[in-house]
Amino acid sequence: MKRFVIVLRYELKEYFSSKVFMVLTAMLAVLGAMLLFLPRFVDMSDFTGVQIVGGDSGEETSKEEGEQTAYIYLDQAGVVQPEILGQMFPESSWSEAADEAEVRAAVEAQEAEAGFVVTGAAAYEYYVYNKSMTDRNTAVFDEAMKLFYRMDYCGNAGWDLEEIAAMYDVPIAVTENVLNKDSESNYWYCYMLVIIVFMLIVYYGQMIAVSVTNEKSNRAIEVLVTSTSPNSLLFGKVIAGAIGGVFQMGVVLGAILISYQVNREQWGGMLDMFLHIPAEVLLAFAFFGLGGYLFYAFLYGAMGALVSKTEDISKSVSGLMVVIMVVYFFSLVQLTNVDGQIIRILSFLPVSSYSTMFARIAMGTVAPWEIVVSFLLLAASIVGTGMLGAKIYRMGTLRYGNPIKITSALKDLKKSE
Amino acid sequence: MRLEVKNIRKTFGETEVLHGINFTVESGRALGLLGRNGAGKTTTIRILMDVFHANSGEILLDGKRFVPSRHQIGYLPEERGLYPKRTVLDQMIYLACLRGMKSKEAKESALKWLKRLEVDEYAARKLETLSKGNQQKVQLAATLVCNPEIVILDEPFSGLDPVNSQILKDVVSELISENHLVIFSSHQMSYVEEFCDHIAVIDHGQVVMAGELKEIKKEYGKNRLMLAAENYALDKLAEKTEREWGSYVGISGRKKEFLILELKDGVNRRAFMEQLVKSDVEVEKFGGYEPSLNDIFVSKVGEEEV
Repeated sequence: MKRFVIVLRYELKEYFSSKVFMVLTAMLAVLGAMLLFLPRFVDMSDFTGVQIVGGDSGEETSKEEGEQTAYIYLDQAGVVQPEILGQMFPESSWSEAADEAEVRAAVEAQEAEAGFVVTGAAAYEYYVYNKSMTDRNTAVFDEAMKLFYRMDYCGNAGWDLEEIAAMYDVPIAVTENVLNKDSESNYWYCYMLVIIVFMLIVYYGQMIAVSVTNEKSNRAIEVLVTSTSPNSLLFGKVIAGAIGGVFQMGVVLGAILISYQVNREQWGGMLDMFLHIPAEVLLAFAFFGLGGYLFYAFLYGAMGALVSKTEDISKSVSGLMVVIMVVYFFSLVQLTNVDGQIIRILSFLPVSSYSTMFARIAMGTVAPWEIVVSFLLLAASIVGTGMLGAKIYRMGTLRYGNPIKITSALKDLKKSE
Repeated sequence: MRLEVKNIRKTFGETEVLHGINFTVESGRALGLLGRNGAGKTTTIRILMDVFHANSGEILLDGKRFVPSRHQIGYLPEERGLYPKRTVLDQMIYLACLRGMKSKEAKESALKWLKRLEVDEYAARKLETLSKGNQQKVQLAATLVCNPEIVILDEPFSGLDPVNSQILKDVVSELISENHLVIFSSHQMSYVEEFCDHIAVIDHGQVVMAGELKEIKKEYGKNRLMLAAENYALDKLAEKTEREWGSYVGISGRKKEFLILELKDGVNRRAFMEQLVKSDVEVEKFGGYEPSLNDIFVSKVGEEEV
């Protein structure tokens, strides 16, 4: 244990005395915080829908007159009511054309955003210069035409349209009482946290593999394995990597979450789905995310010991990467079905519980015993992969040259036992 | 302390590389493991250090199974290497702490050894910024930083210039005089000869000669003579020796200034001297020949010093 602490401290020093590591952490945290403080200093009302007056209150604002969108129409059927169009197309101004050529000319000259030629009670032509992917003019005009049709029909039949509309569109009062999890609001931060663990595993796992391979390539490994146990060396290295990773991610994520909480009002709550994360979800993320990271970090360490040149690491970890990617995609796909059988099974497997059990806790129904069993399985697997990783690390000590295949490494380990 | 290596065998795949290695070494003594490249010296040392496991045989320290992790051992591996991007002092303290020293004690010891090896001015520098020779000295300092009771050095002189070799020789001599148990491998006989009490010559995975160096030299030089003449060049003298005194001596070698002769069985020095006196040879040099370690090594292993 003492030797493990010595290795851990030495490896931690590697991270925390690295200027690149510390500066990058600080830069990312400051950048994240700056972005989230932006609405306090810059008018982002177009984006957030909130205008800051004096920096501490929000008011809905409307576009200025000059910013109104111009439309033109020609009513050949005699059904159009421009004041209704003005209501259905917010911030718009409507002008009537004398003929179809005028509509076309106004649109071509881009004096009008779009033009409508109503040819019948339920038919019209649409003119637009460049149709954007988000063009919703026809959808809104369809609704307006339906309304004109109903008004015309009711008028001819002597019916009261308002009475009929009130009967059809009776307002329903609903009070939602979510007794367990609200998947709709939890989905996006779960999604984001799964991506964060994935990045943590891949980025820091790679760093651990490089660190182990470097010890082989600079030939320090023989001095090390004759000075202390491989368990102390690998556990110290991996736990230090975990602390380094959690520190960096924690500082950045912490800065972002705190900055958002401080500026939540200025953002109009529009990032709640990503950044307003309940404490119990963060706790589950801390346990399962960190557990999953450690599980894979030991495997990365072992893979690093199978090669003697850093350029061979990608070859060595490719199999592991496939597993990580498959788990990652399955986890993301299954986020929309957190109470399904597949995610239930995945949430007990140590290779995938780091994301799937966490997602179930955040969004689904999960019994306490399931959380405990899943975590115990993950914890036991971490110790198991740690021990196996240390054996592979020890076995790979003086095996230089071509990368060793994991299958041959396991065979050799079995033989040596 | 008495370290005994008994009948160590080691196989890599289907190939047996050590065929039963035996030797013994005690505190206050130095054992030189000699052998050509690939003879099995490093494998033997790695088995001693538990880097490799032997297929059979045993290693005993004072009669009990030798477990390296239970002892303070200073090990300088053949594959040199430390952390190039860390400072010299930092990694020496780390290695000393890994071997059980407290941080403060480790720092003091590290500074002491750096000073002793004349590299203390580089303590705060990154290892990669030092010259090869100085890196080698730092590696030796890192080997000795834990004040080991057993010192195992694999080819310690390789890569050192004569000045640094002298510093290393002095350090090793001090270790021996301070009652440390020292084992080192080399194929540079002159260094071994200077401070080794015992040698074990390994060839093709087996010990072909082992024992006290003085005794080996005495035994090897027992029937050997050196001869040089004023009136005969060495080639002519060699021809004459073979032609006229072939029943008394054989030529076992030659140096720049004399021939090395070996008395035939049953012939004593006096008989040969009488023949010499009767001849026309004007003797320039004549006497018992004390062989160098290199002579012994070459005669046993059949290759010149590298």
